[in-house]
Formats: sequence, structure tokens, C-alpha cells
Amino acid sequence: MLEIEKLVCRYGKVEALKSVSLVVRKGELVTLIGANGAGKTTTLRAISGLLPPAGGRTLFQGEDITRASPKHILSRGIAHCPEGRHVFPHMTVQENLEMGCYLRSDATGIAADMERVFESFPRLAERRRQIAGTLSGGEQQMLAIGRALMSRPKLVLFDEPSLGLAPNIVERTFQIIKGIRDQGTTVLMVEQNAYAALDMCDRAYLLESGTLTLEGTGRELIKNPHIQEAYLGG
Amino acid sequence: MDQLSQHIVNALMLGGTYALLGIGLTLIFGIMRVVNFTHGELYSFGGYMIFLFTSVLGLNFYAALIVALVLGILLGAVIELVLLRRLRGADIDTTMLVMIGCWMVLQNTEQMIWGGVAKAVVSPLPEEPLVLGSVSVAWLRVFVFVVAALLILATYALIHWTKLGKAMRATFQDRDTASLMGVNINAINTATFALGSGLASAAGALLGPVYLVTPTMGNLAALKAFAIVILGGLGNIQGATVGGFILAFAEEMGAGYISSGYRDAMGFLMIIVVLLFKPTGLFARAERIG
Repeated sequence: MLEIEKLVCRYGKVEALKSVSLVVRKGELVTLIGANGAGKTTTLRAISGLLPPAGGRTLFQGEDITRASPKHILSRGIAHCPEGRHVFPHMTVQENLEMGCYLRSDATGIAADMERVFESFPRLAERRRQIAGTLSGGEQQMLAIGRALMSRPKLVLFDEPSLGLAPNIVERTFQIIKGIRDQGTTVLMVEQNAYAALDMCDRAYLLESGTLTLEGTGRELIKNPHIQEAYLGG
Repeated sequence: MDQLSQHIVNALMLGGTYALLGIGLTLIFGIMRVVNFTHGELYSFGGYMIFLFTSVLGLNFYAALIVALVLGILLGAVIELVLLRRLRGADIDTTMLVMIGCWMVLQNTEQMIWGGVAKAVVSPLPEEPLVLGSVSVAWLRVFVFVVAALLILATYALIHWTKLGKAMRATFQDRDTASLMGVNINAINTATFALGSGLASAAGALLGPVYLVTPTMGNLAALKAFAIVILGGLGNIQGATVGGFILAFAEEMGAGYISSGYRDAMGFLMIIVVLLFKPTGLFARAERIG
């Protein structure tokens, strides 16, 4: 579904990604793990068009989207749930969700999807008219996820969904992401919490200093000595 | 007492156009992070357009107002597309210098076309003032206030209830995330600059018949608009609205009770005080649009 070939990204002169190639197949939950600064967020920003890559190619369902605009990429079915949630802080919960379906114009479909989001996240339904900046971190994460789903994506990119959340909320967030995959939406997730990510994913990649160094199923990587030592605390 | 109520009415009438000028400037700063030095020129552009279409071409005054608004929107869109779009991502100083250059070009072009002699615009409104008890106010002033208020309300409605307005607010609050939602940031920038410019042009067209139209009329107007924006907090529309009225009251009371020679100094005195004691503006919780 998504194929990345030899992707290179630079911030000024600094090469953040050095020839990264990865594949996400339809229906999979793939995770990208690695340390801070390894290039995980950069990879997602390059896929969704926020950071035009310096080299390489991105193919989505056969279409070359390497230098397409974020708008075009979203319209093809890739939603990006950014690191740190990034809800619109001065907008209401409802307005945030409406921004999620900014490109859609099918009013009945939008209304149905919004109801579905409110069913899945009753806390958001209660806080429909509340300003998003006043929600708790966990509620903001639910809102960011709900907002990403409002575009009816085929593939969702999650960037550090567990970042800064209380442990019980982290658990719930990962359950929700698995649920999204189970309902047929493909997921590519970037996560620092390596154990949880490897435990829940179908396949995983390890990114180190802008290069992919390992690839395999979650179970394989959990048993890998290098991963155990460097990412799972020995 | 009579004198006071007269001053209050005068200030209210003046405050409407000040708010209009301030809202345009604060929108552009808030969403685009551009310090718009051409704002005053769009204001004088509006003045010249109302002169051109009424006095020269003989168009109906009310229709000419709408034409001035629309042409202001178009000129703003052109400035954004030709200059600002290329400067996206450029240093704020670079953008500022280019905007100062644009201001000079526009002002000198006006002088070249129209000459330095002030032009008078004749309004179709009755000469005799509206008298309410001890207070009297020119019908033209009432008309200017009502139109300014309607334009302000229309801008509020646009920002709060339309899809474009929502995208503008989203862009202001989080540019990258707005882009991830599919918002075309370039289009939002053009729309914002065009809207702000249209409001400035409308303010100039409204005040054309109140004052005289000159090539330099925009200089003081722009300075006042900056004063209003600083008073209200950068990017804050409600703040700019209230700031416009505060400036008008300060000027009117200063002129009435201290000395009319200090009228234009009042605004700058207020900026100094605000910047000293509350540099984020009078109403800033956090910077926001809407």
C-alpha cells in the first residue's frame, strides 16, 4: 500500500534520513521504533508532505506522492496524527473534528462519522463545546485520533501516541490504535515505547541515526539481542 | 455634561473606522506573521477609489463604496501573490523591508497619478446634522459608523462561522497541523491579506468624504492602526475592535479636555504606556484569532 524507496531528508545541511526504504501492506500495523533524533518523525513528515524529501520516492497505492502537497496526500487517504497531539487549542472539540474532515463535503457521511467518534470517545461527546486547549492530555489524544479518523483515511500515521500520557491512558491509546487496524485501516506508528510497540504490531522497523538497521515481525524484534540491549533495557 | 455626551458620540463614530483599520492589520499579522506596512496605502487607495468613481466617473456613492472594497480586496490579493508568496519562509526583517518598499511605491504612484493636491469627495447624505437633544452629529458620520459596524460584524461572522474562517483560525493556531488537515496555506494567506486590505480600503473610502483624500493620508492612519493592534494584542480581533474605540475615546477626550493639538499624540502616548506595563496588549490571554 505504501512503499518508500531510498528516502533522503535534510534539515539545512543535516541529513536526517539517509536512504530509508520501507513497505506497509494493506491492513497491517507497522511500527517504526528508534531513539530520539533517529529520524522517526522526519519519516512521517516526509510521507505526509510536510517536509519535501531531498531524494528517493514515496508510492501510495501505486501513485508517486513524493513531492505532492499535504492536501493532495490527505485526499488520497493518508492521515497524520502528529506528535504532541497538536489539537487546535482555541477551537472547540467539535470544531477540531470538523477540521479533520476539512476536505470532505458529504454532510451525511460527516455527521455519521462524527457520531461514531463520539460513541467511541464519550468523554469528547460530553465536552463537545469545550475549548480543546482546556482538555486533559488523554482527552486531547483522543481528540487528535478522532480528528485523524474524520478524514476516513486508508492509512493513519501515528507519531508517538503515548508521549506525555499517564500509563493507564497509554494502554487505552494503544488499544484504540489496535482497534483502528482491526476495523481495516492500515496503521504506521512511530513509538519510543519500544516494548509496547513491538508487542502490538504486525511488523516493525528499527531506525538508527537516519538508517533502517533491522526489520521483522514484532516477536522477532523483541527477541533480538541488539534491541533487547539498546531499547528494552537488557 | 452636554459637552461630554457630544465627545462620547464623536468618539463612537470615529471608533468604528479605527476598529475596521485595526482588524485588517491584526488579521494579517496574526495569520501571516507579516508586519504590513502597506496597510495605510490600502486605506488611501480606498480614498482615491471613492474619489475616482464618484467625482470623476460619476458613479453612485454607495455603489462606489462597494467598488472600493472589492478593488481593495483585489489589490491585496495581487500584493500577496506577487510579493509575499515569494517571501514565505523568509526572515521577518526581509519581509518588513519589502513591505516598506511596497508602501513607498504605492504612495509615490498615487502622487504621480493624482498629484499632491488634496481631493474632496462629495457625499449624498444630508448636510444638516442629526440633532438628539444637546448632541448633534453629521449624518455622514452616522452612515460611516453603521457601515463600519456592519463590515466588522461580517468579518466576525466570516471568521467564526464559515469554513474559510475556520481554516484561517486553524492556520493561526497551528500552521503545520492545519496543513495536515488539508488546508492550503497559500490560499489562506492570499485570502487573509485580501480581506485585511479590503477592510483598509473600505475604511479609506468611508472617510474620504469626511476628510480630504491626499497621497499621505495613509501614513497617520497606518500608525494609528498599529497603535490599535498593539493595544488589543497582536492577532486579537476582539482586542482590535475594542482598541479602536479606546483610541478614539482617548483622542476625543484628549482633544476636548487637554488640547486639540494633542489629538494625534494621544494614541502614541497610549502605546508607550501599554508597552511599558502590559506588552502583550490589554486583552491578551494568549495570542489568538477569533
